[in-house]
Amino acid sequence: MVSTASAAAPQSVNVADMGLKMTAEPAANHIEARGLNKTFGSFKALEDIDFEIRNQEFVSVLGPSGCGKSTLLRIVAGLIPYESGSATIKGEAVRAPRPDVGVVFQTNNMLPWLTVRRNVELGARIRNMPAGARDAAVDKILDVLSLTKFADAHPHQLSGGMRQRASIGQALVLDPQILLMDEPFGALDALTRDKLNVELLRIWQESRKTVMLITHSIAEAVFLSDRVLVMADRPGKIVEEVTIDLPRPRNAATTRAMPKFGEYVAYLGKVMGVAN
Amino acid sequence: MPGVSSRLAAYSQVVLFFGAFLLFWEYGVRYFEVKSYILPPISAIAVAVWEARSEIFENSMYTLAEVLIGFGAAVVVGVMLGMVVYVSPFAQRTIYPLVTALQTTPKSALAPLMIVWFGYGFISKVAMAFLFAFFPIVVATLGGFAGTAKNLEEHFRALNAGPWRTFTTLRLPSALPSFIDGCRVAMPLAMIGAIIGELVGSERGLGNLIMLGTASTRTDLVFGCIIVITLISLALYALIEFAAKSVWWRGIQV
Ligand SMILES: Nc1ncnc2c1ncn2[C@@H]1O[C@H](COP(=O)(O)OP(=O)(O)O)[C@@H](O)[C@H]1O
Ligand SMILES: [Mg+2]
Repeated sequence: MVSTASAAAPQSVNVADMGLKMTAEPAANHIEARGLNKTFGSFKALEDIDFEIRNQEFVSVLGPSGCGKSTLLRIVAGLIPYESGSATIKGEAVRAPRPDVGVVFQTNNMLPWLTVRRNVELGARIRNMPAGARDAAVDKILDVLSLTKFADAHPHQLSGGMRQRASIGQALVLDPQILLMDEPFGALDALTRDKLNVELLRIWQESRKTVMLITHSIAEAVFLSDRVLVMADRPGKIVEEVTIDLPRPRNAATTRAMPKFGEYVAYLGKVMGVAN
Repeated sequence: MPGVSSRLAAYSQVVLFFGAFLLFWEYGVRYFEVKSYILPPISAIAVAVWEARSEIFENSMYTLAEVLIGFGAAVVVGVMLGMVVYVSPFAQRTIYPLVTALQTTPKSALAPLMIVWFGYGFISKVAMAFLFAFFPIVVATLGGFAGTAKNLEEHFRALNAGPWRTFTTLRLPSALPSFIDGCRVAMPLAMIGAIIGELVGSERGLGNLIMLGTASTRTDLVFGCIIVITLISLALYALIEFAAKSVWWRGIQV
């Protein structure tokens, strides 16, 4: 029931039956790491990390706290350097943050002195998006995230769930092709988390971004992902890769009720040593 | 409304307390026959202030100008130095320890030197106000910049924000609450500096008036000047408090 091999997403399209002998060039993986190592002083944070995330694929990274998940995300985001191996985005070595990559951090990144609208449009302002396009993008995102009514509120007036939604809005405003998320719902209660999972699923199903989601919630990973990478600590490495073969489009009621959903959750729990 | 009536009660307590204090002063000195060059009755002080009102007003404006210019210069130089020390590791290693060491120097001991350097006039008092106000402002500004949340800095880096954008959009607003706290401390200190300067050697100002009053045993006038100085200080402090209101995000963590 659980395959540990990567799913066979078609990378080339055979159009021979159209009489055109032509093979579409396989697009470079959106995110790729090969033999990646990272140390902090003498502490080995990541060892020999190998994975790829294909165009429009949703991949979650599960692992115990302190195993190097955030470190891995920071490397992919171009925020910190690495020692050896390679990290690439669309085939280009990662050296600095890129405009086509949006990042949602573990802590929400609202500036307390700005309104929700100003916070959401921050990235657009920093990257000098023209005012007209910016306003349209922000309006749309506030609407998608049901934050329109709170556009003029300040972050401390929002609930934790709304702040986290606004944080995602901060990343979405630039409409990045690639979205990196570091435990975006980690600080929320289970109910709010489930709701935001559904919202995230809806957004992803509409926009089909390439997503790398770091989480410590097994159910969240299974519900959202095409594939789940499981990490172990000391040193941080990827120990298991599970393809989540649940049909899409998924939705809250039916997907979570599928027997396979429970099987994936149980299996990943066993892999991570939390279930027996 | 219990809120209003309890606040009214609090105000009336304050008024009653001050009223009782002033009455005690007025009739206490008479009853105990305190010599008026030691402590004049409050009514005599009021009369002395009224009679010397134009002189007191003129000297008040002079001292106020010293305080405001000294304070303003301390803000400008303090913020600039705070910024330089924050962005430059070299300045952090060299200038910052120097500033910290100088902070412990008793500034009043510098008053005679300021007079030697800048003369008996306006400039030496501005320098004194500056010296007193400067250190709390540098330290607070630096603390404000250094206290910029690390996760927000990383967020700005992830957006490829340039140094200027990061400064104006993130560091400056982050540092403002701390900076205002520094101003709160520095404003009364600037007044103290200016007055000490005037007491040590001056031709004009409220401190000078105090010296003249003391020399001619006009204790009523001396007390009048002290009260006026206190009132000006209070007004300046209230001004800072008012400005602090616009930096409402102090202590708010989201
Ligand atoms: N800047 C750093 N300097 C030193 N050690 C670090 C640094 N960042 C992370 N670490 C260490 O690396 C390990 C992995 O951290 P992190 O990637 O944040 O883990 P996770 O996100 O999986 O909880 C931890 O042991 C942490 O203490
Ligand atoms: Mg982490």
